[in-house]
Amino acid sequence: MSKTVLIVDDAAFMRMMIKNILTEAGYEVVAEAENGKQAVEKYNELRPDLVTMDITMPEMDGITAVKEIMAIDSNAKIIMCSAMGQQAMVIEAIQSGAKDFIVKPFKNERVLEAVKKILG
Amino acid sequence: MSQYLRMFLDESEEYLQSLNQNLLELENNPNDEQLINEIFRAAHSLKGMAATMGFDKMANLTHEMENVLDRIRAKKLVLKTEIVDILFICLDRLEKLVKEIATSGNEASDVEDIVLRLQNIKNEETSSKNSIIDDNFFDLESEEKDQILQYLKKGYFCYLLDVELVEGCLLKSVRGFMVIKSLKEIGIVIKSIPSLKDIEDEKFDYQFKVLYITKESEKEIRETVTDIIDVKGVTITRITEEDLEGQSVISTAEMEIAVTEEKIETEETPQIDRKTSQDIKVSPTIRVDIDKLDSLMNLVAELLINKTRLEEICNRMNFSNELLNDILQQLDRVTMNLQHTVMQVRMVPIERIFNRFPRMVRDLSKELNKKVNLIIEGAETELDRSIIDSLGDPLVHLLRNAIDHGIEDPETRRRLGKPEIAELRLTASQKGNEILIQVIDDGRGLDPDKIGRKGIERGLITKEEFDKMSDQEKINLIFRPGFSTSDTISDISGRGVGLDVVKRTVESLDGHIDIDTEIGKGTTFNISLPLTLAITQALLVKICDETYAIPLSVIVEAEDITPDRIQMVQGQEVFLLRGHMIPLVWSHKLLGLPVPDLNEVDQLSVVVIRTGKKYVGLIVTELINQQDIVIKSLGEFLINTPHISGATILGDGEVALILDVRNIA
Repeated sequence: MSKTVLIVDDAAFMRMMIKNILTEAGYEVVAEAENGKQAVEKYNELRPDLVTMDITMPEMDGITAVKEIMAIDSNAKIIMCSAMGQQAMVIEAIQSGAKDFIVKPFKNERVLEAVKKILG
Repeated sequence: MSQYLRMFLDESEEYLQSLNQNLLELENNPNDEQLINEIFRAAHSLKGMAATMGFDKMANLTHEMENVLDRIRAKKLVLKTEIVDILFICLDRLEKLVKEIATSGNEASDVEDIVLRLQNIKNEETSSKNSIIDDNFFDLESEEKDQILQYLKKGYFCYLLDVELVEGCLLKSVRGFMVIKSLKEIGIVIKSIPSLKDIEDEKFDYQFKVLYITKESEKEIRETVTDIIDVKGVTITRITEEDLEGQSVISTAEMEIAVTEEKIETEETPQIDRKTSQDIKVSPTIRVDIDKLDSLMNLVAELLINKTRLEEICNRMNFSNELLNDILQQLDRVTMNLQHTVMQVRMVPIERIFNRFPRMVRDLSKELNKKVNLIIEGAETELDRSIIDSLGDPLVHLLRNAIDHGIEDPETRRRLGKPEIAELRLTASQKGNEILIQVIDDGRGLDPDKIGRKGIERGLITKEEFDKMSDQEKINLIFRPGFSTSDTISDISGRGVGLDVVKRTVESLDGHIDIDTEIGKGTTFNISLPLTLAITQALLVKICDETYAIPLSVIVEAEDITPDRIQMVQGQEVFLLRGHMIPLVWSHKLLGLPVPDLNEVDQLSVVVIRTGKKYVGLIVTELINQQDIVIKSLGEFLINTPHISGATILGDGEVALILDVRNIA
């Protein structure tokens, strides 16, 4: 059975990009969320193997979402999707339990490298 | 600027002197580690100071010196005569630079030649006995070293990890953080270079070093670290106990110095103007704890009291002996000089507080859209340290008031035909035994009637009082608690809590504040303060049978008068002094003592006192004499006693109260 992924990003374009990269590599994108609040709800409902999490989003930002998801499931595996210059926030996310990060603009191999490392 | 410069120069000279001495000693005892450490520390401190002040040549030179000393300290370099020679040349050049800075404010001499020579030593003499930790510039504190040794005893391993990230990797700070985080999961990170904070702030080049304690094997560490994306590799070096023993330990004292330097740098750097070329004369100085000066002052005061007692006894015994008189006179002179010198020592230039005002005035006038040119005069005027410290807040208040209320906006000023840029003057000067500080603005001035009406509104005075008041009295209403002339309360000033606090503070320093103002022309606040709080000249008087002291600074003159010179004018007792009518006040009444019947006395003494712009005659029973008194506080419980500001001990050992006559009018 292929591993399941939840993609969180407020931009539909970014979601589509990650989705394409992941599905091509054989992962199953089970859901998408466009803000942190939705992400927490979807995670709770679907318990995906992996979450890709944007940082700046409306409603609830990615860092808060990481904290809430980690509170629900301490084994959750989250990869942060960050832009350049967000190091402080990424550090905070990792401190809160995120496993790794990828930097926009995404390169296929970088995304897959990070995902593989985490999902084994 | 000059206040830091002076301290910098003083300290630099001290360090250079100790460097010279220690280096001489070191030449004779080349293996004295303590000496080497001391020399290293002095060079290190000099470097930090010079860099902070922006004296790059000094900083450069001391930096190179420090490098050489560090090698010697780590026993990588044998101290030979040639090296000592170069170090001495180095010190001479540093001294020259310090002198140049002292006279011209600039570093004139070049240092390149010596820097090169120092660098050459460093290069040709690298010995084989390296300490791994030293090579990697880990400056371990003794506690850290102890900590590592403890772990080693418990069966842990200590490693030096050199982690390299893939060049050009994105968000390397986060990668660095992830490496350290995963290391922390299986061991203890003692220290990293650069520091953890610098790594998080991305202040490193794709490479960092970690001093690490763990029970895991090298293989395990390597796997943990390289499992993280973008880690290119890690070099792992085992650190043994011997490596640690050879490690030179940087003492806690040095760490503290480093910390203070950093603080100075962040706080003061923007203010430092490194290209002042005015002539600065600097005489050699030492720095002393202010507490020591306080106790010295106390001792001088005790001496003074006892000198006065001795004189008193001789007088009372009617003892006239030429030799004794001679000694007494000598003693008198010596104590006076001693007192004077101690007072001088306690003096600091008022620029200590004036220095912070230009920035404040700039910010405030910007905020209020006013154009203000602050002119500071007499910043070199010296005042007792204890007075200076309490003076900052009142002056801030006055300057704020001037900008907020006094000075008009540029538009109004133009309409009134005044220059658009207002002039705000802050001056200090010494007048005899007093220091005069003025805050002068050329703004709208104070309107006595407006203030008076406000006073009525605020319930401070009645309509009847208003009619009787002089302009000056009306203006003085602004010192009353609960008064505010501003129609709108602004954030800056004008809550009606300002000026009364200013007045109280100034008076608590035994000083006096008054106002000169002219509508449309401007306002001047005059603050007069005693030079020092501890010892002052006073007139001793008798009121009934008790002795009181009146500070000489407020006394205009004193005169014995016959009761018939006292006249009644509008229900007020007055007397004529050279054509001037001076209102009289009975000191007995102030103090709750029985007032003598005018018909029963044939002579009274009047002490004419200046309070603000007014003169008041204070009637006392008898004038005694004038002498130096040592002011002692009445202590917390009695501090608010009306008309009494303190006490002093007289020659006969009796205590006399000091009259507070500022508010008797």
